[in-house]
Amino acid sequence: MSKKLVSLFLALLIVFSMTASLAEGSGITVTDMYGREVTLTEPATRIVVMQPSDCEILCAIGCEDAIVGRGQYVDYPASILEVPVVQSGENTNIEEILALNPQVVLMNDMSQSEEQVKQLEDNGVKVVVSKAADIEGVYFAIRMIGKLMGKGDAAEAVIADMQATFDEIKANSKNEGKSVYFEVSPLQWGLWTAGKGTFMDELAEMCGLTNAFADLNDWASISEEQVLARDPDYIVTITMYYGEGPTPVEEIQGRKGWGELKAVKNGDILNAESNAISRPGPRLKDAAIELYNFINGIKTEEKPAA
Amino acid sequence: MRDLRQLRREKFAPLTYLLLTFALFLTMILCICVGSVSISVSDTLTTIWNSVWKLPVPESIAKNIILNVRLPRVLCVTLAGAALSLCGTAMQGLLRNPLADGSTMGVSSGAALGAVTAMATGFTLPGSSYGGIMITAMAFAFGSLILILSLAYALDRSLSTSSIILIGVIFTMFISSIISLIITFASDHTRSLSFWTLGSFSGVNYEQAALLLLALVLCGGILFRFSPELNAFAIGEDNARHVGVNVKRVKLIILITVSVLIGVCVSISGTISFVGLVMPHIARMLVGPNHKRLLPASLFSGAIFLLLADLISRTILSPIELSIGVITSLVGAVAFVIIFYQTRKAR
Amino acid sequence: MIRVPDVIRALEGNNVTVRYDRVVAVDALSFHLDEGEWLMLAGPNGAGKSTLIEAIAQGIPYTGSIRWKGRDLKTLKASDLAQRIGVLSQKNHVGYAYTVEEVVGLGRYAWKAGLFSGRDDRGKDEVEKALEITGLTALRHASMLTLSGGEMQRVFLAQVFAQDPQVLILDEPANHLDMNYQQQIFSLILKWLKEPGRAVLSVVHDLSLARRYGTHAVLLDRGKCVSQGLISEVMTPENLRQVYGMDVYAWMREMLSQWQE
Repeated sequence: MSKKLVSLFLALLIVFSMTASLAEGSGITVTDMYGREVTLTEPATRIVVMQPSDCEILCAIGCEDAIVGRGQYVDYPASILEVPVVQSGENTNIEEILALNPQVVLMNDMSQSEEQVKQLEDNGVKVVVSKAADIEGVYFAIRMIGKLMGKGDAAEAVIADMQATFDEIKANSKNEGKSVYFEVSPLQWGLWTAGKGTFMDELAEMCGLTNAFADLNDWASISEEQVLARDPDYIVTITMYYGEGPTPVEEIQGRKGWGELKAVKNGDILNAESNAISRPGPRLKDAAIELYNFINGIKTEEKPAA
Repeated sequence: MRDLRQLRREKFAPLTYLLLTFALFLTMILCICVGSVSISVSDTLTTIWNSVWKLPVPESIAKNIILNVRLPRVLCVTLAGAALSLCGTAMQGLLRNPLADGSTMGVSSGAALGAVTAMATGFTLPGSSYGGIMITAMAFAFGSLILILSLAYALDRSLSTSSIILIGVIFTMFISSIISLIITFASDHTRSLSFWTLGSFSGVNYEQAALLLLALVLCGGILFRFSPELNAFAIGEDNARHVGVNVKRVKLIILITVSVLIGVCVSISGTISFVGLVMPHIARMLVGPNHKRLLPASLFSGAIFLLLADLISRTILSPIELSIGVITSLVGAVAFVIIFYQTRKAR
Repeated sequence: MIRVPDVIRALEGNNVTVRYDRVVAVDALSFHLDEGEWLMLAGPNGAGKSTLIEAIAQGIPYTGSIRWKGRDLKTLKASDLAQRIGVLSQKNHVGYAYTVEEVVGLGRYAWKAGLFSGRDDRGKDEVEKALEITGLTALRHASMLTLSGGEMQRVFLAQVFAQDPQVLILDEPANHLDMNYQQQIFSLILKWLKEPGRAVLSVVHDLSLARRYGTHAVLLDRGKCVSQGLISEVMTPENLRQVYGMDVYAWMREMLSQWQE
């Protein structure tokens, strides 16, 4: 009897030590988008995500259940709204994050201070920085998050899917010298547009368009008269419509002097799904399809053969 | 020795008015001709000339830009500059405080809070998309004024200068935090914080220019009418009462007038600081402290100053547009230091 | 019994009380001033003299009544009050570079107030006269910021003359003035008083000046009236000793004895 017990105990001991050494051997090391090396002993199962795009990536690779806390603007998919918020405005509540006991916090490099990062790391929480500036960057982020969660294959599948869509759009588009103006912020609030180095610019190029403001970098506030002078063929506004007053498209059509623009005359104004087009996540694929369909006059229901 | 102290101040003769009007007119022309898109001066002037006299204007981008973007903007900037400068002058005279201004009093912040609240709650008046915001801005400007005055009154029954300014500063801080709070929670509905703190004339139209003109004519008229009283206040509030000024009533009328004017300006262009603070000083150096001459002089100089500031904000980084408040604060702060230094040296 | 006032009082205070928080600065004071009289308010620092003057000028809240020729001052419009009662206050400071003429000209405000400013035909003459009698004609275009204390005092005195009131309320008119101007100013006021219908109430620290020019006096101590009436009846050695705590008569004689040749 006692012999049996001892052997069982020994057996258990062996199993335990084996798993331990196995985990150590397969410890995960990722290089985050800030160039820091972050090592985990096993794939993360509890994660706090601060940026909407990273959350969308997590959900796309099937890790929604691992999310235990979220940033203020993380709102897609809708089911994520059940998860507690650990941020309000510019303030991140470190205590709340620690209380959720995550292994990893995925964040952008702007909104948190170095002190806060240190505070998290001192408490054993790994901080992984994700900041995609272009489509390549989105792929990088997806791979990085996939590795972090032990879902490398799922990540590659998401990337392949995006890539395939983009390639197909590219193959079906050719540049006819048409230009597009992205309106990030409407006239009433001061015009802002997307220049070089934004996903919008990349999407435009993919669809065979030239960004009317390709001479600017990133997002920039611009003069109204510049839009009138550049007379774009297409206008894409990402202003949200709240169901009251004129729609964003009607508002643009109604602006004094804008009636002369080619885009307005031809009715080529798109009110794009703003979160899809402005977040560096998997839904850029949807934004690309929306833009392609708009330019090629295909109704949204008839998706291209993607 | 005596003669050295004689101030040989030229009468504010029609000639001075003429010169100022001419300078303003030239600045306006300059601001219409120069912009982020370059359009030749002759095209610009022909376009304006022809549309004023209802002659046919050749359809072109130039026409579109000049008539629909630059002209309404230049008009709004002119009127707002004049209005803000008048408000500053009136405040500085009334409170006998060279640092007084709509922004230091807290009236501008109050107006901004009103406009933000109207936007966040979606309050509009039928007929005019802008009416609701403007009315709320005015009401809040007036409300904050009443609040500031009652607080100051509770502190000090004579409503003395220092208590009003002190409460104005505290009030401004308080309101700013409420504005950022509202913007945090309703950022989709309201304009950005930078619009309310730095101001912008992007996208203004003729309707707004007309509203500004109406407000300026009405409120400016009232302020001009009260220039003797403003002189009395500027010499001293006790002295004003002794010579027969109905101190409380006049103070109330002037403060209400100023808050209406500021409410209109803020709802159209956000809070633009330093115009109302610095331009009255420049005007005072030109024509002296007498409000009969000071009010018109500061009206003109405020308009010219804001026009030039807007011109710089539109063109310096073209096609990128800067917030006009960046320029006014930059130029204004430097100008203020110079003025401050010179007045100290002169004493 | 029907009270028939035999003289119309130029100024009459009844039970005037001024409180600052819990301090009673003027305590149930009654006084009167008839045409042709110069009433001196005397008393040590903190007696309530300047406070009473502020109350007459309607600058601070008070209880009781102050009447001009039977009319309660509280019921008078600000400009009507200024046309009848001119106040020279002690604290005058100008922050902006107004000229002497502009400040003196402001004295005419009450005569042209109103929505449609009536013409003030006498205005220019009154200002000229005021500038002349205060010796400011040469300084008319000078900036207030460049004036000495005495010059400033003369400017505000000129302003109150230009205001052409019937009762003058003066808080320390001799303040900052050189002796020659003291004498000039007091003679000026005396001359001004000779015109019918006029009266003067003033605070004067210098008891010799008070005695020399005043017809009547109110002696105040800590807000209360110690004595009032003809100047000679008020300024008795006993009254002054009670208020100032010293032998004022002996002190004055001692001062004067220095000047005997």
